[in-house]
Amino acid sequence: MSDKNALWKRREFLQGAGIALSLPWLETYAKEHPEQSVTPRRFVSIYHPDGVGLPLKTDPAWKDWSWFPRGGERDFELTKVLDVLEPLRSEISIYSGLSHPAARNVHGHSNADQYLTGAAIGGNGPYKNSVSVDQVYAMHIGEATRHASLVLSTNGGIGGPRGAQTQSFNSQGRPIPAMNKPKEVFDMLFVTSNKDAAARLARSKSALDLLIANTKALNRELSSHDQQTLQQYLDAVRDTELKLTKAQKWIDTPFPTVDTKFLTLDAEPKEARLYFQTMYELIYLAFLSDTTRVATFQLGRENGEGPHDLLSLAVGLGPAHGLTHAVKQPDGWKNLGTYNRYQVEEFSRFLHRLKDTSEPSADGNMLDNTFAMHGSASSSFHLSRNYPILSAGGKNFGFSNGRYLKFGRGNEDNQAGAGIDTDSGWQGKVEVEELPLSQLFVTVLQRLGVETDSFGGATGTLTGV
Amino acid sequence: MQSAGLLLWMLVLFAASLRSSEGSDPETPSTPDPRKADTLESARESGRTNSRLLGQSDLAKNTTTNSASVTPSSEIPEANLADFRQVISPILNQSCLPCHGPHRSEGRLRIDELSPDLVNGSDSERWREVYNAVGNSEMPPEDDPACQLNDKDRASIVDWISQEMSKAPIAIRDKTQPSSFRRMTNYEYRNALEDLLSVSLSTANRLPQEIASEDGFKNSSALLQMSAMQFETHRDIGLDALHRAIVFGNRPEPVRYRISMLDQIEKPSASKKKAKNSEFFDKDDNDYEKKRRGRVLLNLETGQGLPFQEGSASPIADAIGEGFGVPSAVVLVVPASNEVKWNLDRFLPDEGIMRVTIRAGRSNSNVEQHAALRLIFSAHTSNDANFSQVISQRDIPIKASADKPECISFDIQLQDIQRNPFRKLSTTFPRRDEFLSIRNVSNAKGQEDPLCVWINDIEIIAPYYENWPPKSHTDIFIPSSSVSDQAIYGREVLSKFLRRAWRRSVSPTELEPFMDLLAKYRAELPSFEAAMTEVLAAALASPEFLYITQRNTSSENDSAPQTISPIELASRLSFFLWSSIPDETLLDLAEQGNLSDPAVLAQQVDRMLADPRSSRLADTFVPQWLGIDGLDSVTHITDGSLKESMRDEPIAFFKEVLSSNSSCLDFIHSPYVVINETLANHYRIAGVRGPEFRKVAVETSVHRGGILTNAAILAMNSDGKDSHPLKRGVWMLKRILQDPPPPPPPNVPEVDLTDPEILKMSLKERIVDHRNKPACLSCHSKIDPWGIAFENFDAMGKYRTEIQGLQVDAKSLLFNKQELDGIEGLKRYLLLNRQDQLCRAMVDKLCGYALGRPMSSADRTQVDRITVEFRKQDDRLGDLIQLIVSSNLFKSR
Repeated sequence: MSDKNALWKRREFLQGAGIALSLPWLETYAKEHPEQSVTPRRFVSIYHPDGVGLPLKTDPAWKDWSWFPRGGERDFELTKVLDVLEPLRSEISIYSGLSHPAARNVHGHSNADQYLTGAAIGGNGPYKNSVSVDQVYAMHIGEATRHASLVLSTNGGIGGPRGAQTQSFNSQGRPIPAMNKPKEVFDMLFVTSNKDAAARLARSKSALDLLIANTKALNRELSSHDQQTLQQYLDAVRDTELKLTKAQKWIDTPFPTVDTKFLTLDAEPKEARLYFQTMYELIYLAFLSDTTRVATFQLGRENGEGPHDLLSLAVGLGPAHGLTHAVKQPDGWKNLGTYNRYQVEEFSRFLHRLKDTSEPSADGNMLDNTFAMHGSASSSFHLSRNYPILSAGGKNFGFSNGRYLKFGRGNEDNQAGAGIDTDSGWQGKVEVEELPLSQLFVTVLQRLGVETDSFGGATGTLTGV
Repeated sequence: MQSAGLLLWMLVLFAASLRSSEGSDPETPSTPDPRKADTLESARESGRTNSRLLGQSDLAKNTTTNSASVTPSSEIPEANLADFRQVISPILNQSCLPCHGPHRSEGRLRIDELSPDLVNGSDSERWREVYNAVGNSEMPPEDDPACQLNDKDRASIVDWISQEMSKAPIAIRDKTQPSSFRRMTNYEYRNALEDLLSVSLSTANRLPQEIASEDGFKNSSALLQMSAMQFETHRDIGLDALHRAIVFGNRPEPVRYRISMLDQIEKPSASKKKAKNSEFFDKDDNDYEKKRRGRVLLNLETGQGLPFQEGSASPIADAIGEGFGVPSAVVLVVPASNEVKWNLDRFLPDEGIMRVTIRAGRSNSNVEQHAALRLIFSAHTSNDANFSQVISQRDIPIKASADKPECISFDIQLQDIQRNPFRKLSTTFPRRDEFLSIRNVSNAKGQEDPLCVWINDIEIIAPYYENWPPKSHTDIFIPSSSVSDQAIYGREVLSKFLRRAWRRSVSPTELEPFMDLLAKYRAELPSFEAAMTEVLAAALASPEFLYITQRNTSSENDSAPQTISPIELASRLSFFLWSSIPDETLLDLAEQGNLSDPAVLAQQVDRMLADPRSSRLADTFVPQWLGIDGLDSVTHITDGSLKESMRDEPIAFFKEVLSSNSSCLDFIHSPYVVINETLANHYRIAGVRGPEFRKVAVETSVHRGGILTNAAILAMNSDGKDSHPLKRGVWMLKRILQDPPPPPPPNVPEVDLTDPEILKMSLKERIVDHRNKPACLSCHSKIDPWGIAFENFDAMGKYRTEIQGLQVDAKSLLFNKQELDGIEGLKRYLLLNRQDQLCRAMVDKLCGYALGRPMSSADRTQVDRITVEFRKQDDRLGDLIQLIVSSNLFKSR
């Protein structure tokens, strides 16, 4: 088809348009801003819907296709689902026994929303979420980078209540729309200078100038006591002005030039390999150029149908969501495991990329300065318990990897809820003890430099991470 | 930590409760009260004669002449230390020192270490406690013969403290006095925007929560902070509000649904598919009477009916005229507690008001039954995920008969409700449709002929505008002959807007920067209106809008003015009575200088109290005064409508007392309650039907009347399972008696539950063990008796006579050996002996709320003076508002 030719031509063009790795901007910037030259710490979270395969021990598929490893903290043995991570063994940690307490009896389809927030969103009725962990860190970073965070998903937008298509929620618990088109992401990160935004900023600055003059005039007519009260307002306006100045600075700062050879900017989810590679590469380039230090990426929405269902085409399987329902069919566990394995394979490619790149402004590699996690809010079928989570990196800020970390009690062999393919699973009583995932988030936040000892309703860190 | 602390308090409390029941032993010598058999009403009359404030109004007069007037010219008074050394100190040494001296310091008070200089010293708050304890005969304890005070000595102490405290204000004013200059609270901010712009606004969860003061007030100046985030949120909300008020371009073509039940029964395919029993039924059917009262479409003429599951509707294309025309014979029957759901597909616009008009009537005229309609909005975003929310602000009752159905309307701001985010997808999954449900909220159930709502028609219009352009728009962009000259017209628009928003006239010089900004924006934005909107948003982010200002008009010398200006008085008045900005009338009067005329001021108070906005006084003051937010922290009230009724009861009661200008002592006890049906059922009071609150006379045998026995108070001061006498006692002292107990001492020993010896003990043994620790008893004997008197009320606030088979023991002994025998005993004691304290507390709370700052010792004289007048006028609440507004205190800075 001639259409196809045109497509490939366009791709070549987009790939060729990149100028070789040179980041003069970054160096200049670091010199001008010594306070920013501290090695950046990064956070990225990948979410995949529909959970993982969790067959019963008695099932012949258990040996190869159970997601969780076997064995102990150091001597764990990866099954076929995660064995693609074997070369990165010393860089990863695998967790079991973690979940958000409020979600343990809520249908898994509702729970992508609360994976990074820990909010008790429930299963029906009025809906309220809270801030996600990535955004807590993004607020901490503030204006130090051009973008506070990069929010991606295969499906884009915000989705619906209990059907989120974004992992990120702002401080008021409102969803932050995710981007899903590589070209738009690329333009936002490296091309478009937003003239509207610049004009809006300028208007805002004029308004603030007026307000400051206005406040000073009022101040002269107040008692000294009341002047102190008004000082708070003045400080607030000045802080806002400072923020605008920084935002303005980013508008005036030229974009970094990045190497685009691994980008296929018109890739779509149905071309899963190209799409994954491109989206991950965009995160990588955003990190490399210090355009942002925070990213989330949601691979599809909970529940079937949508572009993400096509991701499993990459491994020759039918729609992704259906795989979780078909585990009791011939090769069911194997198919689900194969698809999960494929997701992890793409993630590990990204990890390698970080590991193989020296940290631009410091010693070591980028992975050592990045906490990268990959997980889901369901383990077994619609079951929001024992989340399958793995993380990598973060060595330079306190994470020691190469470990399989079991938390909670009573489910050391990950058999609670195993083998189920009906709703009696998530409706069933919680029989084993699990720890709040939010405690891991507290640990992560603290190591990223955020002073807090609680998150999402949980207090304290996770011992032993 | 916290829960351990609470547990500790509870243990201590039980100890006290044991002790107090010992104390109520008939053999304990205590003078029986001769008036005990009297009614609470007569106790109230007798108690009035005990009033110190009324009896010694010469004292009040003295105070008035001595320190009176807080005028700049008055000299700084000196402390009367000579009297202290000669008279007071020897009495204190003899009666107080044994327990509050170097050997023991009960309640962490060392009487010998208090500075006797109340004018310049730092102990005036502690002296206030001494004044209360000695004045109320709580101290010294009666059972310690060595420390007894005779009446003369007691009076000497009380009088000396009282005089010294009245000197203090002048000296300490401006040193420690909190100012009334403050930011608006979040709720005032929302009211102000709504009143200013004639829009409805939802600011819920957008601004950080306000912190309440010790007294529970959220408008306390010192606590109203501002941060960059809050400032930015104010800017966003201000702009959002302006966008709701101002319209651009042509009138948008509304989406209009019109659902006639006649059409529905004639083309029932949609509902037919889903209905299990989808067959028509008619009068000959066996269960006809039952069937026609189910959720059905019913032809009233033929009697034929069709079960109804879910309806669907599509927008109609033609803009046919308003109104429904003659009602058809077909109605949709909505039984009590049922919902009818309509699939509206995906055509509702993103923004603007959705007006839902429903024509309906009642299926019977039985006055015992009532029904009201409520709207619910929902969507199914996947097969196992959905959401729903109540979108109507209040239920609207259906009162019309079926033959003359009435139209009721709900206005819903579409951008404030949770919408289906998938409604604009081009694909059909996830589902894009949105649902509107109409719920019949009713008390009809189980009756022979249960009331149903019969709906004839439904109309939905969005966006709905009564006029175009709407009034909210023309209030800003006023008609003018200079519309075409933007330099002149811009000034006209701005000066009118700023006067309302900033509550004062703005000089031409002040306008200039705004005109400059307008010119700047006009160059970039597509229209004059768009540019002006942004300029107005800046005005709404200014401290002149966000803060309630008080200017130093004569700022040159040191003698700062002691009173606020008339225009500032207008704002203080409106924030007090309306929790919002003044209206034009008030601003005009202030600017013409008429508001300083006492008659005009009094007239304005009456006018404002008659205005619907005055509802906010009760709506905001009462929950803060009584701490009703406490209901949010208990989870044992599972019935949502009961909880809402509980929350509303004290507000409704306050409104009743205010509108009838009744005595504030009604808050302690009244021969009536103000309740609705839900609470009537809860209190087992017969004959109250319907959700609206009304005054109902009650016998003493129901043990209600006043606010102390409101279910909200009793339930929030429980532990979720049972009563919590400690919480109730603390609540009484803080909220009603204005005599807050000191915080738990730091050296209270924790109950060590890891100690095996303690673990072995039974709860009672632990209590006994614990009460041997003297550190706890002194405070608890002040707190606990008040709470124990409420023991006849359980965790839901229901009256009980038995607890697990045992007779309730609600007798307790106050520190001054006065017995409180249950709730009636407590009320009787308060009415007989504590009227002054109760009234003063009421004045103090209301003044603190009115001024947006807690009353300090510096305000004491003024508060006392208002209290005396208040008492002279029979403690009437309406009069108190007038007294406060006309006082010097209210005009003070």
